[in-house]
Amino acid sequence: MVELIKVSKEYPPDVVALKDISLSIGVGEMFFVIGMSGAGKTTLLKLLCSMETPTGGLIEISGKPIAQLRGYHLARLRQKIGVAYQDFKLLTDRTTAENIAISMEVSYKKPQIIKKRVRDLLDQLGLADKHDTITGELSRGEQQRVTLARAVANSPTMILVDEPTGNLDAITTERVMNLLNKCNKAGATIVIATHDDSIYRHTSHRVMELRRGRLHAVSGGLP
Amino acid sequence: MSFWFTVLRQVGRNLRQTWGSQLMTLLTVSLSVLIFAFFSLIYTNMINFGEKLGDDLSLIVYLEEEPGPELQQQLINKITTFDEVEKVRFISRTEAYERFARQLGENRDVLDDMPKDFLPPSIEVVPLKNLRSLNQVKLFSAYLSRLPGTLKVQYGQDWVERFYHFTRLLSIIVLLSGTLLILTTIFMVAYTIRLTILGRQAELELLKLVGATNNYIRTPFLLEGLLQGIVGSSLGIVSLYALFQWIKLRFSGPGFLNVFEFSFFPPAVSLSIVCVSILLCTLGSYSTMQKFLRI
Repeated sequence: MVELIKVSKEYPPDVVALKDISLSIGVGEMFFVIGMSGAGKTTLLKLLCSMETPTGGLIEISGKPIAQLRGYHLARLRQKIGVAYQDFKLLTDRTTAENIAISMEVSYKKPQIIKKRVRDLLDQLGLADKHDTITGELSRGEQQRVTLARAVANSPTMILVDEPTGNLDAITTERVMNLLNKCNKAGATIVIATHDDSIYRHTSHRVMELRRGRLHAVSGGLP
Repeated sequence: MSFWFTVLRQVGRNLRQTWGSQLMTLLTVSLSVLIFAFFSLIYTNMINFGEKLGDDLSLIVYLEEEPGPELQQQLINKITTFDEVEKVRFISRTEAYERFARQLGENRDVLDDMPKDFLPPSIEVVPLKNLRSLNQVKLFSAYLSRLPGTLKVQYGQDWVERFYHFTRLLSIIVLLSGTLLILTTIFMVAYTIRLTILGRQAELELLKLVGATNNYIRTPFLLEGLLQGIVGSSLGIVSLYALFQWIKLRFSGPGFLNVFEFSFFPPAVSLSIVCVSILLCTLGSYSTMQKFLRI
């Protein structure tokens, strides 16, 4: 369970990225965060994965305030959160397989398991032939999928995805969404920040809209 | 995957990526250890040589007149008032003449026209082994020269003083090379690790985000420093040993080096030098991590 209580984030000198956001995301829920560019979607994801700290309010994951976590405990939390960043954060001098493996290596998974998981994910995302390709040589769309593969590789309990379909065609978008749905069905909480309405238009999951850093509306979800 | 397997793989990766600067650091560490160990080796051998010479140290007190038995006893009493001595021996004019003649060997006929009492009588004083510093010997010599009836005191002052100053100079060189060793190992290793950290900034940032623990990120850097210390210092000591063997082989036989009887460090000393170098390199790596690797 993720709880945000009156969370705000300001950047100096006086840019308000988020203001008084309060919301709860249940375990195993798929949750969409929508809004125009600059609405605060990416900031919200950065706060959830403790990449940044809020300037106000409280964020709790499984009942623990994440702002207080340090060292080993913070590392353990981050291992349980898979993040697909909008700017990818790929190591462009390493192969696709090495980039995906990195998230499993930090939790000391066995090499055979890592190899199998990497191949499996590349198959699912249509990148089987890119196993040994240096990621710097991949297209934007391919890089985006590698980022997603890295986010889900370690079977995290929460997956945060920032604009997962921004550079993808319709077929690949469907592949990506299938993978995320599969993770969700396996029990992972998924938070997707997007402005691509094709992926949330017909969804039964909750959709939260942000406008200028404020919570504008929450719609959907099963009663 | 075990922690150590992952860490060692990371170390291998780092070494591959920055092999140029790693090699330069390794050579610098080796050279510093070699320079320091070289001068330390000379210094310790000189000290040993000095101690050996000290065993043969004696002071000759030349007298105006040959002392009678009563005066001899008085002089012995006076000498031992300054300090205990190992041996005091009186040499008469005739004994001095005989000894000189023996030393001349085949050329002793040059003394034929000389009277047998032309050499002054003397006292040979062998100080105790604890009286070894130059100042103590000087003080003792000054004391002996003030004894009644003394003409002159000799103990090879010039030679002893030169030797003393030479060992002093060597000790300063050892200190300087030790400082060089400390500076190069700490700073060169720190600098190399810093380069590695800066070169891998993006990866380190990502590692943090995917949940790598502090140990996971830091241990490879610490191991790099440790490895630099082990390989660099071992290389330095092995090079010195090779140099030592070469000099021994090259200059063996009768000659200058035979007087000195050069010996290499005992294993414990070599090991200590290696251990200290490892410690310094690890320290260099640790200090850089503290400064540039904020997690």
